[in-house]
Amino acid sequence: MLKYIALRGLLAVLVAFTVSLAAFLLLNVATDPAYAIAGEDATPDVVETIRARYGLNRPLPVRYFDWLGGVLTGDFGESYYWHKPVAELVADRADETLKLAFSAMFVTILIAIPLGALAALNPNSWIDRMALGVAVSAQAVPNFWLGLIMIILFGVMFPILPVSGDDTWRHFVLPAFVLGASSVPAVMRLTRTGLIEVMGADYIRTARAKGFRGWPLLRRHALRNALLPVISVLAVQLGQKFGGSVITESIFAINGLGRLALESILGADIPTVQMLIFVFAIVFVAMNLLADILNAAIDPRIRIG
Amino acid sequence: MTDTQISTTGVEAEMTLLTPRQIFRKRLLSHTGFLIGAGLIATIALIALFAPLLAPHDPYAQTLSARMLPPIWAEGSNPDYLLGTDQNGRDYLSRLIYGTRVSITIGIGAACIGMLIGVTLGVLAGYFGGIVDHAISFLLTAQLALPGLLLAMALVFIIGPSIWVVIGIVGILHWTYYLVVTRSATQRIRSLDFVAAAVASGATPRQVIWHEILPNLFSQIIVIFTFELGIAILAESSLSFLGVGIQPPTPSWGLMIAEGKQAMFYRPWLVVLPGICLFLLVIGANLMGDGLRDITSPEGRNE
Amino acid sequence: MTKNMMRLTSMVSAIALTCMTTPAFADRSNDTLRAAMAEEILNLDYNYTTKREYIILAQLTDATLFDIDPETQQVMPSVATGYEFVDETTLDVTLRDDVQFHDGTLLTAEDVAYTFNWIASGESESNANGVLARWLDNVEVIDGQTVRFHLTSIYPLVLRDLANRIMLRKAGTYTVDGQIDRDAMSSDLIGTGPYRVVSFEPGTELVLERFDGFFGDAPEIQNIVVRNIPDVGTQQAEMMSGGIDWMFKVPLDLAQSLGATPLATHLSGADLRVGFIVLDAAGHTDPDGPLTNVLVRRAINHALNTEEMAQYLIGGSAEAIHTACHPAQFGCDQSSTAYEYNPERARELLAEAGYPDGFPLEFWAYRDKPAAEAVAADLEAVGIDVDLRYVKLESLNQARAARDIPAYFGTWGSGGTADTAAIARIHFSESDRNLSGDAELQDLILSAEQTNDQDERLSIYSEAIGTIADEAYWAPLFSYSANYLTSPDLNFPLDPDGLPRLQNSSWK
Repeated sequence: MLKYIALRGLLAVLVAFTVSLAAFLLLNVATDPAYAIAGEDATPDVVETIRARYGLNRPLPVRYFDWLGGVLTGDFGESYYWHKPVAELVADRADETLKLAFSAMFVTILIAIPLGALAALNPNSWIDRMALGVAVSAQAVPNFWLGLIMIILFGVMFPILPVSGDDTWRHFVLPAFVLGASSVPAVMRLTRTGLIEVMGADYIRTARAKGFRGWPLLRRHALRNALLPVISVLAVQLGQKFGGSVITESIFAINGLGRLALESILGADIPTVQMLIFVFAIVFVAMNLLADILNAAIDPRIRIG
Repeated sequence: MTDTQISTTGVEAEMTLLTPRQIFRKRLLSHTGFLIGAGLIATIALIALFAPLLAPHDPYAQTLSARMLPPIWAEGSNPDYLLGTDQNGRDYLSRLIYGTRVSITIGIGAACIGMLIGVTLGVLAGYFGGIVDHAISFLLTAQLALPGLLLAMALVFIIGPSIWVVIGIVGILHWTYYLVVTRSATQRIRSLDFVAAAVASGATPRQVIWHEILPNLFSQIIVIFTFELGIAILAESSLSFLGVGIQPPTPSWGLMIAEGKQAMFYRPWLVVLPGICLFLLVIGANLMGDGLRDITSPEGRNE
Repeated sequence: MTKNMMRLTSMVSAIALTCMTTPAFADRSNDTLRAAMAEEILNLDYNYTTKREYIILAQLTDATLFDIDPETQQVMPSVATGYEFVDETTLDVTLRDDVQFHDGTLLTAEDVAYTFNWIASGESESNANGVLARWLDNVEVIDGQTVRFHLTSIYPLVLRDLANRIMLRKAGTYTVDGQIDRDAMSSDLIGTGPYRVVSFEPGTELVLERFDGFFGDAPEIQNIVVRNIPDVGTQQAEMMSGGIDWMFKVPLDLAQSLGATPLATHLSGADLRVGFIVLDAAGHTDPDGPLTNVLVRRAINHALNTEEMAQYLIGGSAEAIHTACHPAQFGCDQSSTAYEYNPERARELLAEAGYPDGFPLEFWAYRDKPAAEAVAADLEAVGIDVDLRYVKLESLNQARAARDIPAYFGTWGSGGTADTAAIARIHFSESDRNLSGDAELQDLILSAEQTNDQDERLSIYSEAIGTIADEAYWAPLFSYSANYLTSPDLNFPLDPDGLPRLQNSSWK
């Protein structure tokens, strides 16, 4: 087990480096940070000066290994725009993204699990159909569009919630809903199937025979067993929330890592993009690892390693 | 097997008398979700096919003096433009109609490319296991961790913007679902007796994969394909929304939403209408996918 | 969806509601002007920045040796009281004796000489280095109130460069503890301008306060807060709820829509920025390509309905132009050839050039997408098969540097300088922006900078602008207008050079 975790950890680091190399190459062919820093009316001499100041006139391999050397000593370099260490920048912005990711998960759980449970308790009823309808619709709504619609609704027609910024918890209500909605279908369906399966199990039949019905039955016997796989899916979804935060944060003007990623990619801030991709890759792999471990803990038949 | 026979037998008996293909069709036709989905997709496909006949205007023809007109139900509209015009004075309805072509082409194209990549890798990983499996799982993780936005931006810049490049990008970004499913299915099939028999009788891996494994994956692949269709359409719209997908002036719904975003407080329809189109198309694909899955594996309904 | 008017009214009342529940703490009662900028403000030292936002801020925090009167384009005294050319390459500048830095110390001739010599030195790596290195040899202190500029050659725009680009610093500013520190002034700026920095959070907020020791006319408003709000939609929401008083670079449609409500005032002023299409006449992308044929380039000029683009897509005071310079610029002779909008003629010219069925054309653009699309549509209409490449600025610049661009939609703001030199030199001499491949034209344009005789310069530019038009190296499009939204309380005067000067604002 420990060996397995160590192996996966190694994989995470390998993936992080591979992806950051890919990102470095892609960014360098597609844009030139010197022009981005200089702005639209920059004369060639200004661009040359900037290129020299940031060391952008060195060959690509030199620049990459320079970066790699820095990373191995814990130095991710300095942002071209913010004139401060990227690590500091990322640390500053991380809490907004964490807040968003966790509140989005909270929204997902709040909607998906009760809905899934209700559907499972009343299979093929109107509740079941409605739950299915919610799942199918949520899957078909473009996330960025849902965000814009929320802004139109709450920014103009019912101005009860702020539509941009990250100052208070109220600022996170709409973005968390938008980001959380995208995970509702998967979690709801899994809750429903899991419960239906568990409800058919012998021990539930026994409980039923003893007179347990409805909510008590659900709470005392079924939910716990059905929810374990849901938790592992939630872990994977949480990993994906960090990626999903790019569009949501940008639309709702939240100063988190997602927005930083989008701005850095579009603005060719290569050191920042490199570190963000590195961090995202590690978070992503870690969350998947966590899910695997949970799955193994739940189901002894799954042998990992 | 004739109609008279069917009408004289009971339902159970009827099912046993039908070929699997006929059972399949019968189940499909009695699945409401599938029917709605298929109806939506068929309608939108027809719109795409007959776009030149349906569109009242050329979607690229601009009249700068008639820009940003509101739709017919709002004040200040022009009956020539049922849904108003965009920022370059192009007919919004016509652009929405032609947008079906972009979405459907990219959906199908990208889902095919994703299928090619995902199924190939999935079957290889499942069949050979070991180091091949590890390498492919590494590739999978790396792909999932690389932001699609970055890849799209770079490729569009290097190759140039065209619908084919976007199809390629979306395809490259969406093969993991195929891979995960075909890998485990291949592992399962490989351990079955008939495959072992084929291997024992001297069949090469290539023959086994083509003749024994792939035919058995077919129904699962079709189900995934249908879902991926919807996912690919959404992915294209997100990339276009961010400006790294379909390039102007091609009418893409995602791009239209991005263009309408600036004025959305005053002209919400610019954002609302293309979003509804996207929703209908994607929900159609998803309902079809749900239906196909229920029918091909009834025990896994609604999972 | 309800009807247009109803929505607007409901929105206005909705905003009124928010205002009642959360009273906007602010504006004129605190004598604080709150400006929004989309571009992130990260460095306050204009000697190390380039973008327009930084010019606007430098106007507040810094003073230059001279000022250019935006109305008359005359050189006016500022930190300097006067100047005298000792000979054609030696310039004496006398300084005021009462110019205070924000920390209270008085500016000396040593400070001025230090600033210029530092920036002109290669090790400064200053963004302004290129401007000075072109003509400045060194600056010498003559006495406490006089400095002497030694020029490397005759340079007619020397006073303009002194007025625009170089912000004065105390001697030794960029060397901290024996180490070069180019960021020394990036956040704790010590300037000589009418406002001093109170606090600065890069990328978030800059707080300025009127500097009582300022030598010139004191501005009316006590405090200016500049907030970074990257999304124009968010800026708009803030404007509607009274959170900001001033926003610029506002898209026309938004400016008009919001300006029509009582929540904001839409101001549209002149701008020296012009938009144009540069054509690869030199054949860098294809030595025998269609664009090397002057008839094709003229056809492109005829194909574009620039009047409509200016009126509907740029709006305000924007106008179609037919010269490779802004009509308000010195030397921008308007008598050069103008190609009227005539798609028929364009088709004839294409046929005459041997392209009766048009040809494929890759057309690059990085801003004003609707205008770029309008150009593409107009060219399509005469049979040219346009492949529009709408990319980020840096991608376009990179591709242009690699000589991979056959035609692009460029814009140029001339740094607010109303002189043809500010646009001609970079676009028609040694620069990757020059796609004309015309060596004679290059010599001609450079010769205008070898003389101080204004009449001679005028005739040189007239000839150059005429050649560019006759050869159709460009397809000039339109001049821009600057769109602002301001709070109804704010009085914000507009200048004809298009540079917003927040220091001139006052309350109504």
